[in-house]
Amino acid sequence: MNRLQPNFCACGSGLSALRCCQADLQNFASTPSSRHLLPLVDEAISRHANGALKEAEALCLEVLELAPGQGGALAVLYQIRKAEAAMVAAEVLVKRLVSLDPNNIWATQELALLLFGRGHLAEAEGHARNAVRIAPTDPVSHNLMGMILTEMNRPQVGEFHYRRALELLGHRQPILLANLAWNLKNQGKMAESRALYEESVGLDPSILQTLLGWARMEETDRDFARADALLDQAEAMAPGHPSIWLHRAVVRGRTKHYDEALAILDRIALSSSGTGLGTNEMLEKGRLLDKMGRFDEAFEAFSGGKRLNVEQGGPVYMAAHATQLVERLKAYFTSSRLRIVPRATTLENNPKPIFILGFPRSGTTMVEQTLSAHPKVSAGDELTFVSDVADLMPRMLNSPLTYPEALADLWMGDQCEGLNNLRDYYLQRVKQLGIVEPGATRFTDKMPLNETHLGLIALMFPDAPLIHVLRHPLDIVLSVYSNHLTHGFYCANQLETIAQHYVLVMDLVAHYRREMTLKYLAVRYEDIVEDQEPNVRQILAFADLPFDKGCLKFHENKRYARTASYAQVTEQLYDKSRYRYRHYLKHLAPVIPILEPTIARLGYSIDG
Amino acid sequence: MASVAQGQQASLQGGVSRTVDAWLAEAEAHVQSERFDAAEEIVSRVLEAHPAYAPALHQAAILAHRRKQPQMALHWLEKAIVSAPDQPIFHRNICELYRSQGRLEEAVIHGRKAVALAPEDAGAHYNLGVIHYDRMEIDEAIACARHALSLQPDMAAAHFELAEALLLNGVFEEGWREYEWRFDLPNSPSLLPHKGKTLWDGKAMPDGTLLLIGDQGFGDTIQFCRYVSEVAKLCPNLIMACSSEMRPIVAQQNGIVHYADRWEEVPAFDAYCPLSGLPRLFGTDLQSIPAPVPYVHAEASLVAKWRKRLEALIPRGFRTVGIVWAGRPTHGNDLNRSMSLRKLAPLSALEQTVLVSLQMGPAAAQAADYYGRAPLINLGAEIVDFTDTMAILEILDHVVAVDTSIVHLAGAMGRPVSVLLPFAPDWRWLRDRSDSPWYPTVELFRQAFPADWSGPVASVAARLRLATR
Repeated sequence: MNRLQPNFCACGSGLSALRCCQADLQNFASTPSSRHLLPLVDEAISRHANGALKEAEALCLEVLELAPGQGGALAVLYQIRKAEAAMVAAEVLVKRLVSLDPNNIWATQELALLLFGRGHLAEAEGHARNAVRIAPTDPVSHNLMGMILTEMNRPQVGEFHYRRALELLGHRQPILLANLAWNLKNQGKMAESRALYEESVGLDPSILQTLLGWARMEETDRDFARADALLDQAEAMAPGHPSIWLHRAVVRGRTKHYDEALAILDRIALSSSGTGLGTNEMLEKGRLLDKMGRFDEAFEAFSGGKRLNVEQGGPVYMAAHATQLVERLKAYFTSSRLRIVPRATTLENNPKPIFILGFPRSGTTMVEQTLSAHPKVSAGDELTFVSDVADLMPRMLNSPLTYPEALADLWMGDQCEGLNNLRDYYLQRVKQLGIVEPGATRFTDKMPLNETHLGLIALMFPDAPLIHVLRHPLDIVLSVYSNHLTHGFYCANQLETIAQHYVLVMDLVAHYRREMTLKYLAVRYEDIVEDQEPNVRQILAFADLPFDKGCLKFHENKRYARTASYAQVTEQLYDKSRYRYRHYLKHLAPVIPILEPTIARLGYSIDG
Repeated sequence: MASVAQGQQASLQGGVSRTVDAWLAEAEAHVQSERFDAAEEIVSRVLEAHPAYAPALHQAAILAHRRKQPQMALHWLEKAIVSAPDQPIFHRNICELYRSQGRLEEAVIHGRKAVALAPEDAGAHYNLGVIHYDRMEIDEAIACARHALSLQPDMAAAHFELAEALLLNGVFEEGWREYEWRFDLPNSPSLLPHKGKTLWDGKAMPDGTLLLIGDQGFGDTIQFCRYVSEVAKLCPNLIMACSSEMRPIVAQQNGIVHYADRWEEVPAFDAYCPLSGLPRLFGTDLQSIPAPVPYVHAEASLVAKWRKRLEALIPRGFRTVGIVWAGRPTHGNDLNRSMSLRKLAPLSALEQTVLVSLQMGPAAAQAADYYGRAPLINLGAEIVDFTDTMAILEILDHVVAVDTSIVHLAGAMGRPVSVLLPFAPDWRWLRDRSDSPWYPTVELFRQAFPADWSGPVASVAARLRLATR
């Protein structure tokens, strides 16, 4: 009998498409009739364990062509593909395993880890949570939650899971200690972080990643000598490792030794056997060149970094999705409708939010550092809760509609206090994070692009100050382009998409301001840099806070700002970031027509 | 030149041959019937064949004017005047076009030329008078209006123009008399649908029923409803016919026994009187303007509601300044009396001040583009009607507004209000004074030059800055 040449699945699993991605999942369920294949599966497992990967692979493929849902064969083939770095195929296979057996703890943990590694954090979080549900006493599940939530900027929740993992493990596992140390660094708890790194390295001094994390922590805490010493230690362990060099370049950059930093990056490029610098290295190189005044080369590096990111499968701007959301928000939030929408009430004895709004790289971190230097204000950083509320709204309001249309259910007798419930959910999450320090009556939420949900925020917190940080749009676009950011529906990979998203959001803000009564204050980044005190006084007064001199020295605020701006906000106000676009006008030419009307509306001009 | 093309044969459409003037007559008919595209097609074909033919250029200007394209209308009319410099109608028309665009220098030159070329044309004198009013040459405006009336005694527009100029000068007796011509103005809606009713003569009607009609805009109604209680003393059976929007204000006046906002709800009456006719009937002059301020009050429950709302919106210790920068866009003088929010920029530099936008209508959208230093709260988005506005006015520390109904409302409530007036203001604000005998709490800030808001806005800002010290 002639064998038909199978039509291989595009995912790269090695299976035929009809037995892989084109098949109906229901047909995958294992049946008793496939029992005769078990010896083959056992053989594959054994071969795999002995390192005979080709044979193991052939056996798995044979089994899965006959019984596509055979769990053992799927697991072995997944491990083979993962080891080959065929990540798409690996993801398909492990997802199939989880779908066929949602209680498979090993597969669930593997899937969460794989998604985490690929940067799909929200999806990873869902599976990590399942892992905790399935195996609540398994430290691996908690470690996963710790890693994912730390990366998602919810370090307080991450800390909980790391500590639980340590407790369950019953001993001080060095990697777990280093993970917790990194988490604490992200919360600005430098002393605790340092102690844990010391403990981790004391237990196992041979883990490169721990030394790099620690060096980063010291660099963040402005102990550059210590960071250098740690990198020396790492260098002795793994001479010429590109990650060490990159960290070294960052440290040199922060100590303003730009030539040295650049030379290190060039060394990385030469040593990487023709593949050149990665995305982050190229962007770092661009930022160094910018500081050195080599603007054309800097722009070339930014463009190279962004291009590489796209080539390597980095996400692209979800233009249709963004536009559709904005149109729906505009259609819902109209003054005639809002006149009959109830507002949430204010809880008097609760810490109150101050929303710092703005496009990424507009100066929101600086404003948060300024405000949180005030004894009455705690920094909340980038809180995801407004988006969470939007996602949860249909369930919380028992509505068949999604956000924002689900707000129509506020007109129902049993949901008319729904906004109070949404407000309480937000405040409860804030309380859980423990961000409000003793003595503070306010906390900031500076989630970039929260202005997209300005309407919802004003319904939940009608008297919360909304401080919108403005900056020259060309500076914003340039700065977003020179950094790796995922905010704004992944607009950051191209100049044009950054500009498009910026205009889209600013138009939405104008819509909200037209249709709603908002407690809104626009502050310009440039004004704060030029004339700090009156602007800081204005912001504080608008937020009903007495003036505090400490707010003028926000760079001394020991709090670590987690975002890309952290290195800048630890320096005194400086002029160089103002109107930086002037050095890049010819490169920015493609986006000027997109931005020009908004530039004029905001009262800026384009100067050469 | 004009005569060259007259009587020429011009074939503009296949197979049809007519004179150019016949084509232009057809274009004119299309314009009259608002078939603008058809008119445009003819006029452009004529101009293609005869680019300097003055009547065609004039027709093109009329067409552009009717299409609300003033710049284009000026362009054609200027060309027509080059082709036919001594055609009086061209000067008469272009002077009005220049005036409507605020180009008063050019307007007055052509206005004078029109009068010189056609001294018997009452319309030319009237147009020139209007230009003089806009230039605040009030004596000249009065002279022109009188000249027009000497040529055409029943010219309602000239009577009205004369009334406005006299009243602005504080000459009330003759001014009120001339003001009665307002109902005879072209396109003036009829005051009431009833036929054969008697206009009230101001005498007591103890047994008869009097119908008072809120006949003009919101501002006039608020200004003149101060007379209602006095009227009621003469005519106890007093019916008020007024728009529903004005009800919460007018109905506060003593003596109204029935209020109707639809004609079918108006019961039988014996005589009628427009609200704006009351100053004449009461013989009001500069010394006897009744100002029983406050004669309008906010509702206590609404004041409490808005106070709570404003407390949530306004940071503690900030002064609240309500702002209104534009009136109803369909108002005849809106170009002069309204401004853009950007022109209020000096107010945004005030320390410890929140600007509270009470702006309604299309201009309210400008609040979205405000990025000044002082915070701006767009309260207009939550205002439903005048009851809300009254409550808010009761709470705000100060109001700055152009000449719109909000000024009258704040004035009638006795609230402090700074009024930004155009160079040639409405007659009720009189001349050369910063106070108003109609409203004691009003302060007037006048343009020193036409269309230049910088002076009065800076003065208001300086006044408010002083007040904080």
